[in-house]
Amino acid sequence: MGNPLDNTEIINILIEEIRETVPELEGQPISASDSMVDLGVNSIERSEVILAAMERLDLKIPMVQLHGPKDIQELADLLLVKSAG
Amino acid sequence: MSGLAGIQAINVFGGMACLDVRELCIHRGLDTSRFENLLMQEKTVALPYEDPVTFAVNAAKPIVDQLSEQERSRIEMVITCTESGLDFGKSLSTHVHKLLDLQPNCRLFEIKQACYSGAAGLQMAVNFILSQTSPGALALVITTDISRFALADANAVQEWAYSEPSSGAGAVAMLVSDMPEILQLDVGAYGNYAFEVMDTCRPGPDTEAGDADLSLMAYLDCCAGAFKDYSDRVQGADFKSTFSQLCFHTPFGGMVKGAHRQLMRKLHKAKPEEIQEDFEQRLSPSLTFGQRVGNTAGGSVFVALAGTLDAGEVNEPIRIGLFSYGSGCCSEFLSGVATSKSQSLLKEMRIAEKLDRRYRLSIEEYEMLLSGKSVVRFGTKDAELDHQIIPSAWPVSGNGDLLVLDNLVNYQRNYKWI
Repeated sequence: MGNPLDNTEIINILIEEIRETVPELEGQPISASDSMVDLGVNSIERSEVILAAMERLDLKIPMVQLHGPKDIQELADLLLVKSAG
Repeated sequence: MSGLAGIQAINVFGGMACLDVRELCIHRGLDTSRFENLLMQEKTVALPYEDPVTFAVNAAKPIVDQLSEQERSRIEMVITCTESGLDFGKSLSTHVHKLLDLQPNCRLFEIKQACYSGAAGLQMAVNFILSQTSPGALALVITTDISRFALADANAVQEWAYSEPSSGAGAVAMLVSDMPEILQLDVGAYGNYAFEVMDTCRPGPDTEAGDADLSLMAYLDCCAGAFKDYSDRVQGADFKSTFSQLCFHTPFGGMVKGAHRQLMRKLHKAKPEEIQEDFEQRLSPSLTFGQRVGNTAGGSVFVALAGTLDAGEVNEPIRIGLFSYGSGCCSEFLSGVATSKSQSLLKEMRIAEKLDRRYRLSIEEYEMLLSGKSVVRFGTKDAELDHQIIPSAWPVSGNGDLLVLDNLVNYQRNYKWI
């Protein structure tokens, strides 16, 4: 990938992808401390969001390595670590 | 040596009773706003007198009945593929062998690897045929799985969440031979992807545990990985153009849709409209029966194959790509060729008609079954089955071709034809 992103940029990517995947969330505020589950994003949609974020970060790793984060912040942290190789 | 091998005959048995999944979701208070995306309609619910043996035998009987005495005597291997075994030692295939009245010169065993068991069984049988160690032999591969949720307490319902509506029951019987009129496997064309992961498991006889996100991730990793291995082995293999139809392991349709979308994006940078169109064309037929029986575990990819042959257009030979995934985990992408004859043979099994005949349980009846009082638990020594537990579910007059569990005496399961 090109310039390394920081955590805030990854959070923004995730929120954009959540909104893209679940248009029903329009108008509802989404912050880094929210979990996708609590936002009502179902398991299929959660994987869509993660795949889309991986694509944008040009991150080619098994998805199972991204399992575990409790909220968007933690997911962004993990994506950042994985992106750094 | 013919070099041909594959599925000569296939049949799906979807049980005696079913439940409307939307009704269940509403009853459980699950969010149904995007329910359509999950692509589920009904699920088979195993009645107390239905067990993995009755499912297996009821799937296989119509196939075996079509054989001549001579052909039947050439069934030299019966493999049961299941994660719903009834005994740690004795395999279900021994019961199946007896109830189908097969010859004693036969290998009997069972394969376990969650929902991958059926593909593993098929490959074992196909390789037996290809090896030509017993020219002209037939092998019977039967996947059989039922999910019995035990309503331990109110919290259990919460824990099941979406796994309750998607978990079904069903069996698929496949006769494997060197006359593969249903699906001629592309010999040597397969790909595997496996790694240890604790995504979904059955740690006890009546319990299922797991993590939906992790399982989905493992499924997606495997789908990409198994196809990569397939395309490394098969020169020129192209996900978009090599296969006229696709059949994936189907926990529920929405998961198949997600996996297809991932591959189309990753391999072909396809846009949403193209992905949707391709899904409708190449995968929708495969959901025909799966969305009526629920997840049949080991058999689900073959329930998908039967659906494709039943609902799809097969006017000329078509190549079908199959993807099997079993939690834990192991997966395989393989392919084969079906013809218009495959379709007419499959339709003779009248699978849809038999699914229509299932008794539709009310939520009250379903919950009564869930309470578990009537279920014969793993390890039970003696029991008498109450065939009138739901009187309307019991056939008024049978033809003597449907097997049910009658009783257990000193661990011996006794069955009867109705």
